[in-house]
Amino acid sequence: MTSGEKHVEIEKELSFGPVHPALIEPYRIRLFVNDEIVEDCELNINMAYRGIEKLFDGLPVERALLIAERVCGICSHVHAWNAVRVIEGGLNIDVPPRADYVRVMTHEMQRIASHLILFGHAFEVVGHETFATRSFLLRESFMDLISYVGGNRVMPSVPIIGGIRPRADLTESLKRVILERVDEFEEKYKGYVTRIIEDPLVMSRLTGIGFLTKEDAIKFHATGPTGRASGWDYDLRTKMDEYKPFEFNVITDESCDTKARIVVRALEVFESLKIIRQAVKNLPEGPVVNRSWKAEEMDFTTAYMETYRGELMHSYALDSQGKIRNYKIRTPTPTNLAAMEHACVGDHVTEAILTIASCDPCLTCCTRAEVVDSGKSFVLSDFEIVRKYGWRK
Amino acid sequence: MNLKATSRKNAIHVMVAYTGGCNGCDIEVVNAVLSPRYDVEQYRVLLTWNPREADVLIVSGVVAWQMVEPLKKIYESIPDPKGVVAVGACAVNGNVYKNLVGDIGQNEEIWAPVDTVIPVDVKVPGCAPRPEDVIAGVVKALPKILEAP
Ligand code: SF4
Repeated sequence: MTSGEKHVEIEKELSFGPVHPALIEPYRIRLFVNDEIVEDCELNINMAYRGIEKLFDGLPVERALLIAERVCGICSHVHAWNAVRVIEGGLNIDVPPRADYVRVMTHEMQRIASHLILFGHAFEVVGHETFATRSFLLRESFMDLISYVGGNRVMPSVPIIGGIRPRADLTESLKRVILERVDEFEEKYKGYVTRIIEDPLVMSRLTGIGFLTKEDAIKFHATGPTGRASGWDYDLRTKMDEYKPFEFNVITDESCDTKARIVVRALEVFESLKIIRQAVKNLPEGPVVNRSWKAEEMDFTTAYMETYRGELMHSYALDSQGKIRNYKIRTPTPTNLAAMEHACVGDHVTEAILTIASCDPCLTCCTRAEVVDSGKSFVLSDFEIVRKYGWRK
Repeated sequence: MNLKATSRKNAIHVMVAYTGGCNGCDIEVVNAVLSPRYDVEQYRVLLTWNPREADVLIVSGVVAWQMVEPLKKIYESIPDPKGVVAVGACAVNGNVYKNLVGDIGQNEEIWAPVDTVIPVDVKVPGCAPRPEDVIAGVVKALPKILEAP
């Protein structure tokens, strides 16, 4: 609950979900409204608990990678990449620079695809079907490129420990195709974004709702574009070694509302295009995978990286046979959820779903911890953990 | 083709039930219907979120235990004749969540595959299946609906 100490009379509770037209994923929104103004909001996300962290325990690392990729279908590459970054950091495995470039390139391609899903979803909620379908159409060109690189539209499986799958190496002709498609896409995408920004109807629907101040964003640790739209320039990509050779800007916006969250993502796509171009043009020669490593005992290691929605953490240890112990994942959405709840408060009910959609929740990967208490088990999501115990001790 | 089949063919409503996979499949399904490249809406196949309006239920994902009852309810509230399409490796055989488990041996959080919960007519394998495959799966389920008395 985010309403603070002051006591408010609640007139009515509106609840949406778990299956509802406005929500693609199963979750439940409870809005406490008073005279059509949202006084409090509660998001309940424990509908898709799969026990995924427990599956890792006792698996050899190479096989575990298959599960890591299936944590989330929108950001599959991120999870696969961060899972190998943990062991590469922990056992000091060198990654050839060519592999890093291809990983970064795939990452940015999926970022664009992910942001375009958000536009599709957000404009569905707004009720502007043209923009929604156009964003799905634009997304197809990147889904194609991902499948050219990795072989599958959703699960490209590019990273393996020590490099990338040799199949995902870029050939000269593929490089040419990527550059052509990126140019083509940029042309169309510019038109699309201009249309959105110049459309007075859509903009008036987005402007001035769902405020999240910079202080609140930092307090709830709303990472990624959600935080950056509140003027907090926190982007882990600026600190990651893999991103050192690339030149890009961190997009921030000071206006803190729903429009800002959409605009920040829209502009981020251009930065991603820049990175893809640099990666393809400056791709170093050399091997793509370093196979001279052995799984051995590894202490608890953690890797952080910037995903499409914010900060992602993977961490695990290896036992003496090279099997995984204690896998932990923290995805960006749990901390962003607290920010979403807060952003809804004080608005008209019709805006609440739009505000939540503009924060780009991705809930499949959220629900992971479960508390078993005298035969009665209930799911404790990371979000509730954050709410109860505070963010990162 | 009799009158019923002709009129049914004019508005096939598809409902997507997401039951806890990784999200990849639903997006591909929604893509198959909405994205202008695949666009099955031009063949009068429409996406709906109301089970009482639906003809074909597309189920994706391993069935997480919270979703077992809702899924049964959704299935029951779809009027006859109805078809069920299980989309994705998760719905067909449980994918990694059921078959690649470490020390715990058996994943008790999920009820995969889907046909242990509700009857399934067509299975579309793949992780994630391409939108073309999803469309082919839905088309396979249609004769059952059109030819029903
Ligand atoms: S089949 Fe693959 S893509 Fe589909 S929900 Fe399962 S893991 Fe995700």
